Amino acid sequence: MNTRRNTLAPAVVAALALGGISAQAKAEDTLYIFNWSQYMDPEIIEQFEDEYGVRVVENYYNSLSEMFAQLQAGGASQYDIVVPSNYFIERLANSDLLMELDHDQIPNLQNLDDTFLDPEYDPGNRYTAAYQWGTTGLIYNKDLVDDPDNVSWDVLFDADKNPDRPFAIMGGDGQVSMGAALAYLGHGYDSMDHDAWVEAGQLLLETRRRDNFNGFEDGTPMLRQIAQGVIHAGLSYNGDYVFFALEDPEDYENIGYAIPEEGAEIWVDNMAIPKNAPSPELAHKFINYILDAEIGAQLSNWTYYTSPNAAASDMLDDILLEVPSTPSDAEMERLYFTPSLSGDDLRMFQQIWSDVRQR
Amino acid sequence: MNPATATGMSFLALVRQSWHVLATIGPGVVFIVIFLVLPSIMLMTVAFMTNGPYGLPEMPFTLQAFRELAGFGFLGWSPGNLYTLWRSIWQTAIATSLVILIAYPIAYYISTRPAHMQPLLLLIVIVPSWTNQVIRAFAWMNILAPGSAVTNAAYNLGFLSEYMGLFPSTFAVVLGLVYNFLPFMVLPLYASFQNLDHRLIQAARDLYATPVKAFFQAVFPQTLPGLMAGTVLVSIPAFGMYVIPDLLGGGKSSMIGNLVARQFSDASNWPLGGAAAMIMILATLLGLLVLRRVGRRAGGGREVVL
Amino acid sequence: MKRRINGFQLGLRAFWYLTLAFLYIPLAYVVAFSFNSANSYVRFPELSLRWYERMFGNTALMNAFYNSVTLALTSAVIATLIGAILGYGMYKYRHLKLGWLIWFIYLPIVMPDIVYGISQMTFFVTVHDLTGMLKPGLTTMIIAHVSFQVPFVALLVYSQLVRMDPLLFEATQDLYASPLQRAWFFILPAISASLISSFFLSITLSIDDFVISFFTSGPDSTTLPIFIWSAIKRGVTPEVNAISALMIFAVFSAGLIIYIFQRVRPPKDPTNQ
Repeated sequence: MNTRRNTLAPAVVAALALGGISAQAKAEDTLYIFNWSQYMDPEIIEQFEDEYGVRVVENYYNSLSEMFAQLQAGGASQYDIVVPSNYFIERLANSDLLMELDHDQIPNLQNLDDTFLDPEYDPGNRYTAAYQWGTTGLIYNKDLVDDPDNVSWDVLFDADKNPDRPFAIMGGDGQVSMGAALAYLGHGYDSMDHDAWVEAGQLLLETRRRDNFNGFEDGTPMLRQIAQGVIHAGLSYNGDYVFFALEDPEDYENIGYAIPEEGAEIWVDNMAIPKNAPSPELAHKFINYILDAEIGAQLSNWTYYTSPNAAASDMLDDILLEVPSTPSDAEMERLYFTPSLSGDDLRMFQQIWSDVRQR
Repeated sequence: MNPATATGMSFLALVRQSWHVLATIGPGVVFIVIFLVLPSIMLMTVAFMTNGPYGLPEMPFTLQAFRELAGFGFLGWSPGNLYTLWRSIWQTAIATSLVILIAYPIAYYISTRPAHMQPLLLLIVIVPSWTNQVIRAFAWMNILAPGSAVTNAAYNLGFLSEYMGLFPSTFAVVLGLVYNFLPFMVLPLYASFQNLDHRLIQAARDLYATPVKAFFQAVFPQTLPGLMAGTVLVSIPAFGMYVIPDLLGGGKSSMIGNLVARQFSDASNWPLGGAAAMIMILATLLGLLVLRRVGRRAGGGREVVL
Repeated sequence: MKRRINGFQLGLRAFWYLTLAFLYIPLAYVVAFSFNSANSYVRFPELSLRWYERMFGNTALMNAFYNSVTLALTSAVIATLIGAILGYGMYKYRHLKLGWLIWFIYLPIVMPDIVYGISQMTFFVTVHDLTGMLKPGLTTMIIAHVSFQVPFVALLVYSQLVRMDPLLFEATQDLYASPLQRAWFFILPAISASLISSFFLSITLSIDDFVISFFTSGPDSTTLPIFIWSAIKRGVTPEVNAISALMIFAVFSAGLIIYIFQRVRPPKDPTNQ
């Protein structure tokens, strides 16, 4: 008859105890990082935690649209650090989601190479400091491609070239996939011509309807999928490719990465602080920490991406100087930044992309 | 009509009773109103707002979201969203039918076992559904991936082209739905079989009815309450599934739940998401009503469902 | 005649075993591959505990586990309280024709959980924008979970009360017991069975929930299902096999315990499971 009391009391105590434990853990300062997956050396986090006596919580996203939606849904007041790519900074700033950086708190900013100081996508480094830069290219199963030096986007877009091998293209905000389609059609990866966009949209729609289309995926997961044989071609990032290939050489023996001849993306990811970050001072300290020469080198040595940090350049591993981590001169010729869209351009693009996703 | 005189209570007693009623029912109802009804109303309001430049809803009020939902997009009219709605309906229908076909023999089998075994057998059927739906979908992802035993068998039998996996596909989604909801149909059907009046079946046999006829005339009507309850328990949640079509369907077999979710994450168009959510709610209520009506008619006037 | 029955019985039995295989092979697959030394579902070089080691060293995963448990227990306690009072009120005042209440109660049960989750998300975001309170996190998740657990609790308590003899209620009133005494000594023990089962049902509903948790969670409130989902989306799957295997094991243990309970204690209530 006293069963209710007997079950209730310990349950309440347990709940309160657990609540207490978690409250305790949160009592110390916490830094909330919202970053791409597979993009931060766990050791750097531990070092930061030890040096500043704080706790770091990491959350991940795999696409910029995911990041943007999360920030809109309350994330702007819950994360301290976010890592957008160059072409999203304008719209983040316009949506009032970013806090202006206080350069006095980030003396290490000057460690950055000149290219990344006062860049076009963020004049004066008002909101961001460069994190890593890299490329987005084609990942493919080597028997799909005859000549690794002359790879084309037709592996994805040409039904004759690839009639039966499963493949995926990038979802997310769509600009990279559209860029690839634009490049394949000959309009150029960073074309801003609205008619060209419509044509690229039609191509993407047709591509989507093919039997061997396996879905819209994000860059990093595609690398695992291609190793498992779920897809045979897709888009992904150079640094992640090197990371996985070195981690599981057997699985990636037959997988290649290339910058197609029609053109592909070069990007710069940047650290930024959301508008209402809970610990802005700590966030600035973190940015400053990452911009330190040694830490910058440690980061790139782990992620296998090229570092924007000039002061770190002599501490980088040799592999970072090779292709695909550092694109060759020939490749640089055909790499383009994804254009930053706003206003009518953005509206039109989103309508086309939403048709592609939904038809 | 004065409630006090109608119930024969004094005014004070009435006040005290009202206070008691409020004290007991109040907290629960208030909680549900604030944290369920209010959010739903908000969501429906969002459906009538304009889509801001970055996806958040803004004034003024407009029906644009519904127009977009009906397919009037930028590159002309596209039936994509309507296909998604249609696909949700027939995938649910197929999955429910399969579940019914499988659950009937299973429920019958369990009900014919010795009485002390029955709880154990029921438990065996139900336990897999206690695992998280994400894990269950994940398990099927692995089994249906290219290179697995099942996929290879399908390829050898000619169902599949060489490099493709069995997922993402409609087949995988329906399979996932059936796997997910099978136990929910077994339970109510089993309960019906428990209450079966065997004399009716005996009577049918005595009258030289074939087994098929005996089933449809004697057994089936008696299991109707269980069948209807199970159908509600399966089809309504199946229609609104998100995890299974997302993981097992990829971009190919998305259902309306995926459409709604995408507008709040990837695609950033809250008004469209709100509009689609409204359609989902309406479809769910409609489905419930229809099932109730069908249940009542087939059950001979008794209230069989809710 | 007899042979035909036997054929039918044989077919039925085969069907039963086939269905069992259908139900259990996917789970077995996950468990089997959690011991795979390679990160693959095609090759199986040798047995290894490597993913389990990685799992236990993963602080984010341990965090997710604590969050799941905290969320489940806290929400179950609150929901059982509110729901029990609600169920009791529904029973006691059922003569007042509060039929509309049934709709309120059924609303969370029939609403698709994606709509549920998203409406909660928009609600909390709006409230947060306007007042700064209710950041997406454990609190919002608890609120969301309680709101879908309360109807189940209320219905369970109500249905147990309905099966009781109404004369007993009147008897306690006639004995001049104070409302509090009645509550403690009579009503609570009377509904104890449904309280316990609704408490455990609430815990199950909470631990199992993914969609609603996903849309109401914040940076620090990842639960196990959310963790597994993110891992699948990122493609980091070998550890997911290990976690899933453990969760499957936990579920099976619960099933076993319940079965043993049923055997040792004959069920008082024939519809209790």
